[in-house]
Amino acid sequence: MSDSSDEEFNEGYVMYRHRREWSDVHPIKQNDGKNPIVAIAYSERFLDVYDYFRAILATQEKSERALELTNDALKLNAANYTVWQYRREIIKALKKDLYEELNYIADVIEDNPKNYQVWHHRRVIVEWLNDPSEELLLTEKILDLDAKNYHAWQHRQWAIETFSLYDNELAYIDKLLSADVRNNSAWNQRFFILKHMGLTLETVQREIHYAINRIRLVKNNESSWNYLKGLLESGDFQISQFPDVEAFTEDLYNSGNRAPYLLAFLVDMYIEKTLHIYETNSYDDPEIFARKVYEICDMLANHYDTIRYKYWKYISQKFRTEKERAKVGPNNDDTPANEEATNSEEQKLNGEAN
Amino acid sequence: MMNKRIHAKYFSRFLNLLPHRLSCHDSTRATIAFFSVSGIDVLDSLDLISEQSKQNIIEWIYGLQVIPKEGNVKCGGFQGCTALNLLDPPENCSTDNYKWGHLAMTYTCIAILVILGDDLSRLDRKAIVDGVKSVQKPDGSFSASIEGNEFDMRFVYCACCICYMINDWGDVDKELMGRYILSSIRYDGGVSQHVENESHGGTTFCALAALQLSDQMHLLTSKQLEKVKRWLLFRQDGGFQGRPNKPIDTCYSFWIGSALKIIDAFELSNFKENREYILSCQDIVVGGFSKWSGTTSDPFHTYFGLCGLSFLREPGLLDVMPSLNISMRAYERLKSIHKVWDLNSQMEVQLNIE
Ligand SMILES: [Zn+2]
Repeated sequence: MSDSSDEEFNEGYVMYRHRREWSDVHPIKQNDGKNPIVAIAYSERFLDVYDYFRAILATQEKSERALELTNDALKLNAANYTVWQYRREIIKALKKDLYEELNYIADVIEDNPKNYQVWHHRRVIVEWLNDPSEELLLTEKILDLDAKNYHAWQHRQWAIETFSLYDNELAYIDKLLSADVRNNSAWNQRFFILKHMGLTLETVQREIHYAINRIRLVKNNESSWNYLKGLLESGDFQISQFPDVEAFTEDLYNSGNRAPYLLAFLVDMYIEKTLHIYETNSYDDPEIFARKVYEICDMLANHYDTIRYKYWKYISQKFRTEKERAKVGPNNDDTPANEEATNSEEQKLNGEAN
Repeated sequence: MMNKRIHAKYFSRFLNLLPHRLSCHDSTRATIAFFSVSGIDVLDSLDLISEQSKQNIIEWIYGLQVIPKEGNVKCGGFQGCTALNLLDPPENCSTDNYKWGHLAMTYTCIAILVILGDDLSRLDRKAIVDGVKSVQKPDGSFSASIEGNEFDMRFVYCACCICYMINDWGDVDKELMGRYILSSIRYDGGVSQHVENESHGGTTFCALAALQLSDQMHLLTSKQLEKVKRWLLFRQDGGFQGRPNKPIDTCYSFWIGSALKIIDAFELSNFKENREYILSCQDIVVGGFSKWSGTTSDPFHTYFGLCGLSFLREPGLLDVMPSLNISMRAYERLKSIHKVWDLNSQMEVQLNIE
């Protein structure tokens, strides 16, 4: 929980109730009920500002002084969405210069980069202006401070998608990944951009190499492995269409690397290969791959990813069952497998409730 | 070992009076009340709150309910605080047009009422469900309020909690909502806050809980289910993190733990390390839990830390209902209220026939 910044006010600050230009306004107190709970010991200033805010809201005063009052109200509590809402109504009524508002909200965002309301206000003003020219710069400034700020990324994605600003995004992402290859937000943004450009076989192939090159630098990085895996599963592709990936991962393994993400990738790959042999009735020996699945699952469970010991045992067991089923015959079990899961979950819910 | 009493007392302090530096949380006082009340409940210490205090809390919460006037905008639900409740306003002065239900506040307020044993008879259920419907967006997601707020997965979750708790989905389009959730599943298996944003532990919980509460788990294919299972389990690194390559944080022992419970995979996580991490964030002097060991505790992380421990069957804690995020005892109470409602409506039907 962050704190209020009461001290942001300068020294010559005068309470609204002492300001001559406000003497015509009758402040309205908050009715917190007879026995308030989670009561806040508001400061004198907070009470003063919000008593006057309630007054202008209740009388629907939309004026310059009311606009200034919202500045103070938001300084004391930037999360009050009613104040933001009313501020927008004042701006509209007074036909204020929206670019001025854009500058104002940029400053507020820099002070409160993780506040939902400030980003929402920004978005509304940009929509009104229909001008996204500052958005990439602003979000870059915020991401310079914290490259994983969710609000900034969300705003950036919105601006890019709404106003088609895709052009230079890959270069920006590349810059971020060069600075920190573990920046999962940047990897996600990369996927978002490519998806919109179209994940053709050609693009996927190019991106696979991008991911592989990044993995070569830092091997135990979940983000880059997830990205690689996401690409392979993005269309109706088969892993056999990308012999480079198979070669890369097996080489890595043979060179002695035991990064859990590599091992997890191999488990999935060998499971797919085993089941594929059964499905296509090919003459290859499925046991070659099946043995690798068990072996690597054991490795993960006992040495390289022991925190997920139970999970790798589960994967191994689940594979055994699937393999037996595949052996028996063509898999015509098309019913969603989760039907059982849903039922058991429901039973559990009811069971626990009774 | 955990000192239950010290944590219950910690919550009690938040129920009473907060220092003025917390004024920036003024707009969400209801959620602080929820963490405190539900936290004390999970600690099985409701007897610490006197009957009179319970009544005071219930009255204050009902004071937040918005009852829209006939023919006005459908803004039913609960506000987060009393900032717009006026004490002795002059004639013709009213802030009623700005009193809007807020989904997160409506959800937490109803939950508080249930936990404290209220019979919910004073809820304007029709206005509430109409309010939920009125903030559903064309993409299937929900906004927090009729104006002035963002729309994303967080409010999809709150909408589901509300409809489930009042046992009425009204005109809410569950199917459209389901499509929105599916469109927010990312390439790595997690679920984002909004469509193509980055996968996030909190919003993955929101998505899965929403599917369960709306009885739509069957929308997930077994492949999606396995992928999200892995994504969730990979978040564990002692405690849990919210995104790949981010530091672990106490609250994710709830978000991730609960999501795993919903898909029946919590048993695959590592209990010992999870427990050790949560307990390392415990403040044994003033009470409460923090996000990281050695930092200041807050009600949010205290509540979710305790829920995380409850999933691990820590002695002395009540079981927590994963998707609704209240104790199983409160959940049972809710179910018995539903039974009364069912009976009443059956009787009404019979009377009409006669
Ligand atoms: Zn946290």
